[in-house]
Amino acid sequence: MSVSGSESAASANKPKYSKFTQQELPACKPLLTPGIVIGAFSLIGIIFVPIGLASLSASQEIVELIDRYDEECVTASDKIGFIQDSKANKACTRKITVPKPMKGPIHVYYQLENFYQNHRRYVQSRSDQQLRDKDYKDPKAVAKACDPEATTGDGSLIVPCGLIAWSLFNDTYAFSVNKKSVTVNKKDIAWASDKNSKFGSNVFPVNFQKGGLIGGGNLNDKLPLSEQEDLIVWMRTAALPTFRKLYGRIETDIMASDEITVVIQNNYNTYSFGGTKAVVLSTASWIGGKNNFIGVAYVAVGGICLLLAMGFVVLYVVKPRALGDPAYLSWNKEAAEYSH
Amino acid sequence: MFWNLTDSTRKRQSVVCRFPNGKLVLYCKGADNVIYERLADGNYDIKKTSREHLEQFGSAGLRTLCLAYRDLSMDQYKSWNEKFVQAKSSLRDRDKKLDEVAELIEKDLILIGCTAIEDKLQEGVPACIETLSAAGIKIWVLTGDKMETAINIAYACSLVNNDTKQFIISSETDTIREAEDRGDPVEIARVIKESVKQSLRSYLEEARRSLSNTPERKLAFIIDGRCLMYALDPALRVNLLGLSLICHSVVCCRVSPLQKAQVTSLVRKGARKITLSIGDGANDVSMIQAAHVGIGISGQEGMQAVMASDFAIAQFRYLTDLLLVHGRWSYLRLCKVITYFFYKNLTFTLTQFWFTFQTGFSGQRFYDDWFQSLYNVIFTALPVIMVGLFDKDVSASLSKKYPQLYQEGIRNTFFKWKVIAVWGFFAFYQSIVFYYFTAAASQHGHGSSGKILGQWDVSTMAFTCVVVTVNLRLLMSCNSITRWHYFSVAGSIAAWFLFIFIYSAIMTSFDRQENVYFVIYVLMSTFFFYLTLILVPVIALFGDFLYLSLQRWLFPYDYQVVQEMHKDDPHEYSMIRLPERSHLSPEEARSYAISMLPRENSKHTGFAFDSPGYESFFASQQGVCVPHKPWDVARRASMKQQRQQPQRTGRS
Repeated sequence: MSVSGSESAASANKPKYSKFTQQELPACKPLLTPGIVIGAFSLIGIIFVPIGLASLSASQEIVELIDRYDEECVTASDKIGFIQDSKANKACTRKITVPKPMKGPIHVYYQLENFYQNHRRYVQSRSDQQLRDKDYKDPKAVAKACDPEATTGDGSLIVPCGLIAWSLFNDTYAFSVNKKSVTVNKKDIAWASDKNSKFGSNVFPVNFQKGGLIGGGNLNDKLPLSEQEDLIVWMRTAALPTFRKLYGRIETDIMASDEITVVIQNNYNTYSFGGTKAVVLSTASWIGGKNNFIGVAYVAVGGICLLLAMGFVVLYVVKPRALGDPAYLSWNKEAAEYSH
Repeated sequence: MFWNLTDSTRKRQSVVCRFPNGKLVLYCKGADNVIYERLADGNYDIKKTSREHLEQFGSAGLRTLCLAYRDLSMDQYKSWNEKFVQAKSSLRDRDKKLDEVAELIEKDLILIGCTAIEDKLQEGVPACIETLSAAGIKIWVLTGDKMETAINIAYACSLVNNDTKQFIISSETDTIREAEDRGDPVEIARVIKESVKQSLRSYLEEARRSLSNTPERKLAFIIDGRCLMYALDPALRVNLLGLSLICHSVVCCRVSPLQKAQVTSLVRKGARKITLSIGDGANDVSMIQAAHVGIGISGQEGMQAVMASDFAIAQFRYLTDLLLVHGRWSYLRLCKVITYFFYKNLTFTLTQFWFTFQTGFSGQRFYDDWFQSLYNVIFTALPVIMVGLFDKDVSASLSKKYPQLYQEGIRNTFFKWKVIAVWGFFAFYQSIVFYYFTAAASQHGHGSSGKILGQWDVSTMAFTCVVVTVNLRLLMSCNSITRWHYFSVAGSIAAWFLFIFIYSAIMTSFDRQENVYFVIYVLMSTFFFYLTLILVPVIALFGDFLYLSLQRWLFPYDYQVVQEMHKDDPHEYSMIRLPERSHLSPEEARSYAISMLPRENSKHTGFAFDSPGYESFFASQQGVCVPHKPWDVARRASMKQQRQQPQRTGRS
């Protein structure tokens, strides 16, 4: 009796046992045994190679035509002067031959290189509130956000302000297939979230491109910003200096060996900074545009994993080590060396 | 009527009593050397007999005290009392003045005799010390007891055995005794210092020779407090330290608390090793505070040691748990947490860094501000805390079974530059994968509707990959994964998705917040998102996985080998009650117990310090019979023969 009494008195001071506080939670103790290593690599290889092949085949089906036109469309020696001349005739005709049949809708993109839409001053230079809300008129905040393209020379606000809007791309393309003209559908080229929420349906352009320097295209004063899809697409700034943006869609199919004629109004000045322009025609599939990278990456990784799985099999055969062999403990190894 | 308190420096205590008939007597008790110094001349045989008894008691491992008295006349007492009161109320150097005053009265004492006390070692101390020695920890004993007692304790603790080569520096040698008899303090000091210097030098050479010729022979160094005082001199300190570090165990006897602290500081500063002091009394406080880690044992001698210490344990044997289990786990967890923290932030930041090359070096941020702020707070914080709390490489019992695993901490295996460089390399590799694969894959990446992704879509994609990869990498580096790990990793990734769903769905009036408006929904409507989300973490972790597999196979760490050796052991719980009754019959129990007895034949049995369960020395002297346990008989028989031998040869 007394023994149990003293026991309970002693254990009254003991903290309560719980697996959490005594760090005795049941745990999985993974060991990288040979089986697991080979299994993991094989599994990845087996999963990735088919995905890669599927992506690659989808990508190969996509037909993409790129035509760079900025060099050849300006024949004058003073390119910059030519571009900046508002009275010169900037129309330029390009011919593209279609190698494989392209099923509609065919997406038309313009591609720019060496254009840093991801430059810090450029990315900051916009006022989202102004784009959304007609009544937003805080001149100081707008000026701070959109500097240097916030106000005109006499101080009136520009809508939409900022460098991004100001540098709007304004080359236009007119397509004809086998001498028959095709219309380019310029509706629904921007993401719906942008159109519906970021650009107000009651905001109209005011004083646009009236700041002194003309940076790009002009906007129709009568259309609200939510319908200016070119502007919306342009203002979703790109991540890399080489990018393309959706211009429109050709809804009809184009057959192989058809000849597409593009009449380009070469308005946009990329000559001052050494940028290039190209027009891109591309079909799309579930994977998006032509992107060999993903397919190649999957196949490559899957292949390497399968090779490594085989390599590890060879390693475990050539350099075997019994799992849990006490001879590999460093104090046993030292003792073994010592006795030699 | 009054008493001087004992303290370890004075090593004695006195009390003045008045008998009913008016007689005044001073009684004094204390350590034998200090009492003997203060005895009056004459009475040589009682002094000699007492000294013999003291040696016997010491060899038997008992703690000894001497008692002495002195008659006082009233005048003597009164004049002395005045001085005493003055000293007690002085404002400066009170202790020194009290000492001097006490010296005045504590002289010309007459020896009464000596006493001996049996002081048992705590349960499990020898086993604990053996385990810690196997772990590569050097153990020193600093005690206030006599040399014989201290040596006996060392035998009992298995610090010293019969094969050990002992280097003893004692102040009880003949040369020193002769100098003491002559009585000149300067002369005594010089003699002691000279002899200590010579001994240290010769022992150091001998020890070095022994180490190179016969490395497996253990060396022990034993020095007493008086010689230590001279050995701690700056001139001799270097030799002292050198000899102490070569020897496998060091025993310092008759040390005062100050010397304990001095020895500890000597090792701490001179040898630059990590020192740990453990003690249970008030005289250990300075030593506990001088070491890197001070441990107090809470118990019968009060709580001063506990209050001065960094850690307090209840029994000495819990030190194995503290060091080998919790200390080791703590080291492992700390290394893992720190290296992982740097790795995840390095990966995250370098990914942004590669972006700067393609922004014209303008300094545009890759990630949204909130992503960056919350990365370390919500999205990757909890899993690493779980690892820091719960990660175990081997279980507690295996940590104690293989004490050599502790060497990993001593050698700093998990926090070397090489280890950090490997983490850094993989952070670099992963950041390249995150940036370039996401950027390159999105170059023409768009949905089947042909619409193009912008900068913030790409950066959100990259950030998602970073969060997923970094959390999965943590799981890969865990040794034991509990369900809290799963919760926290899955929870962190889920928290990220929850956050981005909410954050990109709301439109606030803060400027430029709408950069990421609706981004995740746009992304998730493309196949590109899912393909990249599977591809990029796998490629990023691929390098780490390869490295870990190769490292474990070709260059395994010790703990990994131990893990493999015991991978089929069931999970251990400390609360599982083992069967109370043993399944052995009494005969089997007896033969088992006998087989567990140590087989040594040595003069030093450490008998007095054996664990409870053995009969006391005094009881057997008195003939008091305690019920014999069967296995005691064999041991008792072997004991009786040995104890007769010292009496016969004895000291002259």
